[in-house]
Amino acid sequence: MHIPDGILPLPVTLGGYAATVGLAWFSIYMIKRRQDPRENIPKASLLTAVFFTASLIHIPVPPVSVHLVLGGLMGALLGFYAIPAIIIGLFFQAVMFGHGGLTTLGINTIIIGTPALLAHYIFRFRNTAPADPKRTGFFGFLAGSTAIALSVTIFSVVLFTNIPAHMDPETEMTAILLLIAAHVPLMIIEGIITCMTAVFLLRVSPGILDGV
Amino acid sequence: MICCQSSQNSCFSRLDPRFKLISLFILAFSFSFVSEPKLLPAMLVLTMAAFCLSGLPGSYILKRLKIPSIIVLALVFTLPVISGETPVASLGFLTITLEGLAASALVAVRFLCIITLALIILGTTPVQTCVRAFQALRLPWIMADMALLVIRYIEVIGSDYRRMRTSMVLRGFSGQRTGIKTLKTMSWLIGSLVVRGVERSDRIYRAMRVRGYGNLSPGSHGFKATKLDILIFSAVIMLAALLVGLELHLGS
Repeated sequence: MHIPDGILPLPVTLGGYAATVGLAWFSIYMIKRRQDPRENIPKASLLTAVFFTASLIHIPVPPVSVHLVLGGLMGALLGFYAIPAIIIGLFFQAVMFGHGGLTTLGINTIIIGTPALLAHYIFRFRNTAPADPKRTGFFGFLAGSTAIALSVTIFSVVLFTNIPAHMDPETEMTAILLLIAAHVPLMIIEGIITCMTAVFLLRVSPGILDGV
Repeated sequence: MICCQSSQNSCFSRLDPRFKLISLFILAFSFSFVSEPKLLPAMLVLTMAAFCLSGLPGSYILKRLKIPSIIVLALVFTLPVISGETPVASLGFLTITLEGLAASALVAVRFLCIITLALIILGTTPVQTCVRAFQALRLPWIMADMALLVIRYIEVIGSDYRRMRTSMVLRGFSGQRTGIKTLKTMSWLIGSLVVRGVERSDRIYRAMRVRGYGNLSPGSHGFKATKLDILIFSAVIMLAALLVGLELHLGS
């Protein structure tokens, strides 16, 4: 779900960077409001490394296999640290594996980061009542699947409304809907993975679910 | 981590990383501004010249082009048949259009040139140096600290992951079946990595505090621009301006 270099026109890539700067500024502002903003940096960094590694896991979905994005889980566990973590992760993915790109780093951050922040707020609803595995699993599933659904929607709309070719609106809409439909299995898988990981953490180390 | 060993003695590896990164972004954005097919050969020549000067082996670039090429290839092959209005050829029920072919060429060349330039710059600069250069360019300290810690611990976490995966395989897990059991095992694997990461981070934070983390003023980044850096940077700005100027001229 990373848009590579070369596809999007300059106004979109620059707009993506401008929006990312705003999002990063907001996240860093929220992080700096804490009493000791440095305290959680090692935790957020190690979790970023964990998510970077876990995103390389492939899940078989015949006839292909999909790799995990884990935007929802990142949002749920990292909170506002998710935005710096996603920028760093996307930069390393671009330079180490060629996933995504440098000019599209901004727009790719919006594609994965905005849904991650939404997932953070969704997962916080878990705290409105005493946490039990069912409640944690439900909000975990909701956070994971909503994040990926929103990411796929932004990705498809940005991609098909900005490719350098004239497509009639009907073809454009069909392509967007087809791409979203093709990602439905990934939405379910991400939801289940986020749900089961959250329940696992609730049983093993519940403090982690309070976020960074 | 990514820096290519064979490029250690090239002139690119001796340049100031701050100027290299700014030059890369200027060129990449000027390439993404181009939409005129007549300018594509100029972009290719410029990229080839940078590649020859870098001293990087061709295999280094080709190896990293594999994965992103799949997305770009999908667009390159579908655009000629799903977009445009002027037919140039017919393949059964598919009609290839002139505008679609031009769009395909544009996507392919822009992608190839930008990613090659990025690989050249990052292949001649270690990732840690890149982060320090970004820090010298006013990257917020939260992001710089996080990036350096991610670089430091990504191999450790990766090693944990490989060890756990191996023990799962030894216990009979193949990971090739689709089903709730596979997803459960994968979730527990991710959960275990998260727990280990958080436990390790507590120890790391205490060790960092003991060494003065948060109390020391950041030292000098140690980068120093030479006349060659400024000369190359000026040439990059001129080339990017020329490209943008030609695009505006040809576009109008």
